[in-house]
Amino acid sequence: MKRAEHPEIEVPVLSKAVLEQERKMLLDLGNDITSVRDKNDLLALFSKRIKSLFYFTHTIVTLIDYKDETYTPFLLDDENSPIRAHTLYQQLIKARFSLNEPFIQAVLHTADPISFILEDIMDKPLSPLFLRVNHEEGVQEILMTRLMKEGKPMGFIHIYTDRPGSFTKEFRSVIKGIAPQLSGAVSNILKNEEILNKEKEKSFLLDFSSDIAKVRTKVELAAAVHSSLSKLTDLKAYAIRRINEDGATLSPYIFDPGPIPPDKKEQDRLVNTNFPINDGLQNRVLESNIPLLFNVDREIQRGITSSYLQFWKRMEYKTLAGIRLRNAETNLGILWLAIEEINIQLLQGICSQISIAMANIIANEQVSKKQEEQAFLLDFSHDITQVRTRTELQDAIIRVIDKTMHTKLAMIRVIDEDGFHLSPFMFDRTLFKNAEATFDKMSVNRITIEEPYTSRVLASKEGLVFNVAEEIRDGNAYARLWETTGLKNMYSLPLRAGDKNIGTIWLLANRLSKLMMKGICSQISIAIANIQANEKLLAYKKQLEIENDYLKEQIHTIYNFSEIIGHGVAMQEVYRLVSVVAGTNSTVLVLGETGTGKELIARAIHNTSSRKDKLMVKVNCAALPASLIESELFGHERGAFTGAIDRRIGKFELADHSTLFLDEIGELPLEAQAKLLRVIQEREVERLGGKQTIKVDVRLIAATNRNLEDAVKAGRFREDLFYRLNVFPIQLPSLRERPEDIEPLANFFVARYSRITGRKIKNISPKVLQQLGSYTWPGNVREMEHLIERSVLLTPGDTLQEVYIPRGTTAEKQNPAQLANRSLEEVERSYIIETLQRCAGKISGAGGAAEILQIPGNTLHSKMKKLGIGKADYFLTK
Amino acid sequence: MKIVVIGGSGLIGTKVVAKLRARGHQVIAASPNTGINTITGEGLAEALTNTSVVIDLANSPSWEDKAVMEFFQTAGRNLLAAEINAGVKHHVALSIVGVLLMQDSGYMRAKKAQEDLIMQSGVPYTIIRSTQFMEFIKGIADQAAEGNVVHISDVQFQPIAAEDVATFVAEAALEPPIDGIKEIAGPGRFTMPEVVTRYLQSTNDPRKVVPNSHAQYYGAQITTTSLVPAGQARLGAINLETWLAGQLQHA
Ligand SMILES: NC(=O)c1ccc[n+]([C@@H]2O[C@H](COP(=O)([O-])OP(=O)(O)OC[C@H]3O[C@@H](n4cnc5c(N)ncnc54)[C@H](OP(=O)(O)O)[C@@H]3O)[C@@H](O)[C@H]2O)c1
Repeated sequence: MKRAEHPEIEVPVLSKAVLEQERKMLLDLGNDITSVRDKNDLLALFSKRIKSLFYFTHTIVTLIDYKDETYTPFLLDDENSPIRAHTLYQQLIKARFSLNEPFIQAVLHTADPISFILEDIMDKPLSPLFLRVNHEEGVQEILMTRLMKEGKPMGFIHIYTDRPGSFTKEFRSVIKGIAPQLSGAVSNILKNEEILNKEKEKSFLLDFSSDIAKVRTKVELAAAVHSSLSKLTDLKAYAIRRINEDGATLSPYIFDPGPIPPDKKEQDRLVNTNFPINDGLQNRVLESNIPLLFNVDREIQRGITSSYLQFWKRMEYKTLAGIRLRNAETNLGILWLAIEEINIQLLQGICSQISIAMANIIANEQVSKKQEEQAFLLDFSHDITQVRTRTELQDAIIRVIDKTMHTKLAMIRVIDEDGFHLSPFMFDRTLFKNAEATFDKMSVNRITIEEPYTSRVLASKEGLVFNVAEEIRDGNAYARLWETTGLKNMYSLPLRAGDKNIGTIWLLANRLSKLMMKGICSQISIAIANIQANEKLLAYKKQLEIENDYLKEQIHTIYNFSEIIGHGVAMQEVYRLVSVVAGTNSTVLVLGETGTGKELIARAIHNTSSRKDKLMVKVNCAALPASLIESELFGHERGAFTGAIDRRIGKFELADHSTLFLDEIGELPLEAQAKLLRVIQEREVERLGGKQTIKVDVRLIAATNRNLEDAVKAGRFREDLFYRLNVFPIQLPSLRERPEDIEPLANFFVARYSRITGRKIKNISPKVLQQLGSYTWPGNVREMEHLIERSVLLTPGDTLQEVYIPRGTTAEKQNPAQLANRSLEEVERSYIIETLQRCAGKISGAGGAAEILQIPGNTLHSKMKKLGIGKADYFLTK
Repeated sequence: MKIVVIGGSGLIGTKVVAKLRARGHQVIAASPNTGINTITGEGLAEALTNTSVVIDLANSPSWEDKAVMEFFQTAGRNLLAAEINAGVKHHVALSIVGVLLMQDSGYMRAKKAQEDLIMQSGVPYTIIRSTQFMEFIKGIADQAAEGNVVHISDVQFQPIAAEDVATFVAEAALEPPIDGIKEIAGPGRFTMPEVVTRYLQSTNDPRKVVPNSHAQYYGAQITTTSLVPAGQARLGAINLETWLAGQLQHA
């Protein structure tokens, strides 16, 4: 290496005073230099003072970096540098020059300042570029001096001149003398800068932490983050993403896309996106405990397709730092910074603050969510305590769970009284509108507590969650139905009143909080228990009402027929049969013409049987249309047929442990006969629309005025039923057949109606007795009762002088010729009028014309209307 | 080519850095001292920009079981994550011959963890498993000494000079990654008491070696042949005597 060599320039002899002056200047410079703290002042001071003694153009200080064995400019003399305008200047002041080349090695290995003529060395291989650039701007020579720290070179002071020979011996010795102070000053500056940076970081973090300590909401956090991060120079943009509840995705939480406003639409789209954690980028950040620096292009090249990466590319962010936000051991999210460099300490400081704030906000949100849920449950419980019926309950449930919880009620099943079956209690059919047929089929099925899903739910403590997709995979048939709703999970919970399972509830939702589910279920359980109690109460009430009706009717009957009158032989036989059969449970068939007192006999049997403490239940098989008779007898479930809006208990059930009196059994439709037969055989009934059979212990008494054997022959009555009923027939004699009873009966009725009407009739005239005796009594005892009732009314004195025996008596004996040539209508008309007269104008009810004509009262009414039969016809013509 | 040597100020690191620089590569000697720390991540991202090869020659400051595991795991994770991000094309690491056979030792478990992280990282790699460095013999003697007696198990031993290790490492760094393991060892195989005795002799150390057959190494149970390569290995050029002679010169 060739060093600068100059012919010795003549130097004047310096006086003592001059020397003293220089010495003092150096001393001052030394003192001043060591007290310099600001890096810009150092070179200025140095240049100015030295320049007052020696000539040079400019000077710079470079520092060594041992990790890569380079040196790089540190202090620049901007004011005097002749290369400032050079195109390479900006590049040069940031460049790192290798220590491994001859020029700088020569400097490193020389303790004294060493000078070079630029021309000689600048084009040597590996020589640093700055030599040539300076030469281009007129610099001729360079004086290099090592700056040492702890015995090791830390950098260099470069001094340049455009006048060869400027670096005199004296100059060199001055520089050599001042070099240690210069090194000390540079070290101080470095230390100072470090301290300053640390201070800056600290105060930044302190500010940030005091900002963030006040943060309670996401909005406040966003403000604090913004005000702090905007202080970071070089930060283009930032975004905080938060891990979603699903634990599998992240969504933008707080962000600032920087000064270039992005496409609004695109931003909206990104904001509402759930970015999967495992996208090859976010997972790397979340798994790394240090901040990572990402090069956008490289990650795109790597094949990562996340939409935000493309967005960054369009936004021209080149590199991004990604740091996980973590509180204790839980990852909360990621902080993304569009920045070129990572200051680990600072970023970690920022992130730990953000993490704590975020964790607090999330905890706050959870608390207020819990409070909301509690408030909601309170409302719900308030709503539900008002509920009395299923419809109200259903409305309340559907309203709240749908609105506030985005949850659908699929089904509530309630355990039946038998403790084994479960019946649908309520369900939201609209939920399965895409699969109504299937749903109807499945929901109607009465299941048992042993049904696998139900038994699991009932056995569980707090219910089960069935993932719809998984259940489908596992072949759960119900799950196909659930799937049609589009909701992800089926939450099934046991409904319990106290410790007792009362049913199951099935709710479809994507997510449900445990607290809510538990709360809602306990409320619903209570409501259902209440409704059940209410329904039971209503049923009891109804039963009481029905029983009450019977009681009234019975009292009425007793009042009408307090005694059976008749001492004749025929009746004695009847009494004997009654007393024989009463004590048994045998079915009795009471036969006899209309009005012979068949019901009276039935009651007599019941009242002398062991069942007498309970009410005898009576059904008039002729009184109801065929369509209703079955439900009357056997009861029905809710919804069993159109119009069956309530469950109804049948007469069979009502007559449990008692007697069922089936009057007019001959009129029972064939279908009902079949069912009746089954009940008699099985001793159990099944409600219409029900699946359950109910054991009953009923004693049957049937009655008819028809000849059942004829009906059997005609196919109108089942033979098997007939034999079942005809176990113990009792044939009641007609009044005609026991004339000896006419007088006692007449006396009995006269006495009764006199009492009721307040007459004082004591006797019956012989003429009347004679008339009564000679009448044929087609309506039997009942006809006689009505006749006498009417006659009593028309009798003023104390003797019944006259009875109004229907003229029909004569009509019967009418000349057949008179009957000829009449239309069917005429015959019908006159027969109805005649019957009405006989029944004293009574159309329907016991002893009424309808009964005699064996048609329903309504039918008779309409027939009379059609045939133009008015009161005048049957009251005035006699 | 830009090469970052993690632990570039260590025994092997210094030598590797010098060898690579001598071949004209841009080398960063990374260590906490130069502002690059694999545990805190400090300076790591910046150092790795535009880097082709990373050579990890760092060692844990503490050899306590838990600390050493923590060191190699944390450093490994951080370093590899940063390498992936920087697009580093080759990761070279120095491990130990017989590492899988000596899992009774906490240090070996940590080295295995380091190897596993590398193999799972997806970064192309070369793992060099070396036998003990000759420079390490003194340490072995010291930790096994009780007063004037040095208790050494008579296991087989094939130490290698740090200089040779550095040569092999530098070589591997300049070759394409093998995505596998390479073994290196010293040129001669001995028993450990032999080597330690020889070392103490040549350094005029008065302590006496007492061999035993416990097959113990740093308190861990090993086998007679755990410390020597089982199969093929590259052998160093410097034999024990040459190395000892060199040591005396330095001293
Ligand atoms: N000893 C043996 O016989 C043997 C045998 C086979 C393999 N090995 C392996 O060879 C490798 C090198 O061993 P060695 O003896 O050369 O180690 P060494 O001399 O102890 O050097 C360790 C190096 O690691 C650096 N370091 C420590 N903590 C660091 C951190 N947090 N970040 C970055 N660098 C850090 C140190 O830097 P500072 O100087 O700044 O602290 C130093 O440069 C080790 O992995 C070791 O397991 C050793």
